[in-house]
Amino acid sequence: MQPPTTRPDVPAGLPADVALDKHQMLSRRNVLATLGLTAAGVALAMVNYRDEAQAATTSKAAEHAWCMVIDLRMCDGCKLCTLACRKRHNLREEQTWINVYDMPDSVGGTFHMPRPCMMCEDPPCMYICPVGANLRTDEGLVLVDTDACIGSRACMAACPYEARYFNWTEPPPPKRLPMASTPQMPVAKKGTVGKCVFCADRLPHGELPACVAGCPMGVLYIGDLVTDVAVSGIGTTVVLSEFLRDNDAVRYKEELGTNPRVYYILGHGQNLGGAA
Amino acid sequence: MTTGAREAALRPFGRPSRLWWLTISALGAVVLAGLVAWVVQLKGGMGVAGYTDHAFWAIYIADVVTFIGVSYGGAVVSAILRLTGATWRAPLTRLAEGTAVVTVLIGAALIVPHIGSPIRLWELLIRPNLSAPVFWDFVAVMTYTFGSIVFFALPLVPDMAILGREHGQQLGRRQASLFAAVSRGWVGAPQQRRVLAGALGLVSIMIIPLAVSVHSVLAWAFASTSRPWWHESVWGPQFVVAALYSGVALVILVVAGFRRGYHLEAFITERHFVRLGFVMATLSATYIYLTFADLLPGSYVADRGTAAVFSELLVGRLALWFWMFAVFGGLLPLLLIALPWTRNLRGMVIAAALVVPMMWVKRILMVVGPATYDTMTGSFGRYHPTWVPVAITLAATAAIPLLLMLLFRVVPLLSIAEIEEMEKAEGVGPTAEPSEPAGHDGRQVGAGKAHRVAGATGVLLLVALLGLLGVGTGDNAQAAPPRGASTSASTSAPGITITGVQAGGAVQLTATLTGPRGHPTADVAVAFAFSTTQFGSPARLVPLGSATTDKVGIARLTLGGDADHLYRPTANGPQEFVATYAAAGATPVTSATTINVTIARSAYHPAPPKPLASVGNVLVVVFFAIVAAIWLTLGAQVWRVRRVCRGVQKPTPSSA
Repeated sequence: MQPPTTRPDVPAGLPADVALDKHQMLSRRNVLATLGLTAAGVALAMVNYRDEAQAATTSKAAEHAWCMVIDLRMCDGCKLCTLACRKRHNLREEQTWINVYDMPDSVGGTFHMPRPCMMCEDPPCMYICPVGANLRTDEGLVLVDTDACIGSRACMAACPYEARYFNWTEPPPPKRLPMASTPQMPVAKKGTVGKCVFCADRLPHGELPACVAGCPMGVLYIGDLVTDVAVSGIGTTVVLSEFLRDNDAVRYKEELGTNPRVYYILGHGQNLGGAA
Repeated sequence: MTTGAREAALRPFGRPSRLWWLTISALGAVVLAGLVAWVVQLKGGMGVAGYTDHAFWAIYIADVVTFIGVSYGGAVVSAILRLTGATWRAPLTRLAEGTAVVTVLIGAALIVPHIGSPIRLWELLIRPNLSAPVFWDFVAVMTYTFGSIVFFALPLVPDMAILGREHGQQLGRRQASLFAAVSRGWVGAPQQRRVLAGALGLVSIMIIPLAVSVHSVLAWAFASTSRPWWHESVWGPQFVVAALYSGVALVILVVAGFRRGYHLEAFITERHFVRLGFVMATLSATYIYLTFADLLPGSYVADRGTAAVFSELLVGRLALWFWMFAVFGGLLPLLLIALPWTRNLRGMVIAAALVVPMMWVKRILMVVGPATYDTMTGSFGRYHPTWVPVAITLAATAAIPLLLMLLFRVVPLLSIAEIEEMEKAEGVGPTAEPSEPAGHDGRQVGAGKAHRVAGATGVLLLVALLGLLGVGTGDNAQAAPPRGASTSASTSAPGITITGVQAGGAVQLTATLTGPRGHPTADVAVAFAFSTTQFGSPARLVPLGSATTDKVGIARLTLGGDADHLYRPTANGPQEFVATYAAAGATPVTSATTINVTIARSAYHPAPPKPLASVGNVLVVVFFAIVAAIWLTLGAQVWRVRRVCRGVQKPTPSSA
């Protein structure tokens, strides 16, 4: 190191090493300066992408905010919802996009708990996907772009509700006319992930999701948090906010901060403690 | 001795022995079998490897962690020994660094069978999700791979110069031209050696945090989920130590193998193994400690999920495997190194041969335990590996010696220049280590003003960028809709009339009930509803609640007016409201009115953003800056060495 001397070409007060000979200057310093600029450029490009993605997920002016209400008091565990879903989406038997679990209640019995995708407002699956194949629509539906999914299954690890299913082998051949796969109505592909989509292709047309329509007990309600209405498969129509409040609706694993959009109505000793 | 190292380094270049061919073909067959298994998996899907929705991650990701882990050992052992000036390292560094390069490449390749749609892997480059740990895994692994290749390649320059110039006749034609290309211009001038030592010193320093970052990010790919046992803060450091531990063990095995195969006993002695054994013992003890630290708090608090996974691990179905790891992968190696009568070559090799597979078992347990745990029911899925992942794992294992043998057919297996320098230094005295990279502190510091300015501009640009991000997230104030007069229309119906008006935001519905003779009906409940076509036509009536008529037969309901009536119009435009009165035994009478809603309010209240959500944007910029800095600095080291090779013209006789 040089002793701190004052040199004519340096304003007083600056450390002396600022003013080392130009010819001595080093590739490293040089390189650091250049890479600062490069990094900024690269980051700018990438961050733009990210912001775009974020803007797409949270639009204030969304016309709908789809949600589901599940009235556990009514569920008898017939699994017709699972069946209706499987038929509509042409799923293998083990791919229970809406799964009915037999859960232990607080008095030693069991109760039936249908579990669709929770359509989290803070979806861990979306944040963790390495290629951004999960998207969240303006209306709050978390969907999978099966044309982008690389099959890392990070989302399966991240989902606290075990709501994701992988096409481990060649999916069954389509039973209806072949159609283009969209995130709203995905066609299963080997090596990609799939999950409940709330029948996103039906909702804009005022049609009920297959499971809601297929539930003979009126357990499942499809609702809209914006227009404050929820409808069950047997025609019960309610003001959503009042219905949730009056029945002390809860969300599953609230403590995880995922802000799910599926509400459960308890009432018979059910205990949504969950497993983890 | 001077010629000894050269002669030994030239041995693998000669005509390969029958044993060499035999080994290569056996290993090649295993690798080929793995490739066949992979093709089978590509055709049939990952189901043929035993994967199910209840075991979504298993053997392949454990393989990735294991192989990239052992790579760490080679690189860091070599780097640490270089930085601490341990002279005994000289005959080991090339083998250790070669192992690092080969295993990281195999580890990275193992991501391919782990992925469901490997053909789309390039999407990691073109459409990455910057908040995904797996993407940063990819970045970290790529950066580390580049770093370990540079770390391996730089010391080759003097070796290839020596061999190419002085033993050119013993090299093949292509090999000779490769050596000439790599070492072009290297004459061993003091300036060249200073620059090379400086570059190596810097890369040695960089490779350590790089390797730490790779294994931390690998661990965080697990830890950033809410699954029990994965979601642990100790996983990052634990992965780093696990990687070092298994890596040193693999270095011992590789060194032992090549020592035997190419008769390097003159250079690599028992002393080397015992010293590596000491390093391994330290890491073994640390890893046992970290495993305990990993399991204790979770078992103590015993959250439902964590308790389930830990009991499965410690006393349940996985217990046999776990305790096998604890004994054969932790205690026994430690014992073999600790006891004086097993502290020899054979003991060290046995210890290392235990550690490598046992650490793989530990990784399998760490992956499979939580991955098979069903966080809904608290039960465990079953994972039954088929021959496919077994074949692929064996192929990856066989690929290590195979690639190393092929690699050291081409590049010298000992770092001749280093060994010869050490030998010279040892002649002078044990403390004198002229070859030690003094460059990293003795380098000139300084830059022209222009570059200061450029640097400052870079920083400013970054700051401005962050500022922009901040501004971008701000909300635009939304203009309130004008308050308009509301209109009401009424349809008359027998017995009941509903009118509604929106004033000051609140909608008031008024139903007037008259009896059959036109008298007001008092003290009965009138039900109000609104109609919606949102869930298809015909329109559905959504009940709003009821109100009781007063003396003049009027029932009033204010939407959003009290705790019982939360509903408020949510969309501007005409909205139909209905009042119904159902007298006992009579047909219900209804009346409908349409209100033109002008002040609508969405009923949806989004959850407040998470407190640290915006930090991610900043972190991404910082990370990219760091990664870019690392790549450029590594590239600059290669460039520096190339430049000094070009620059020095005076041919000094290479005494090194």
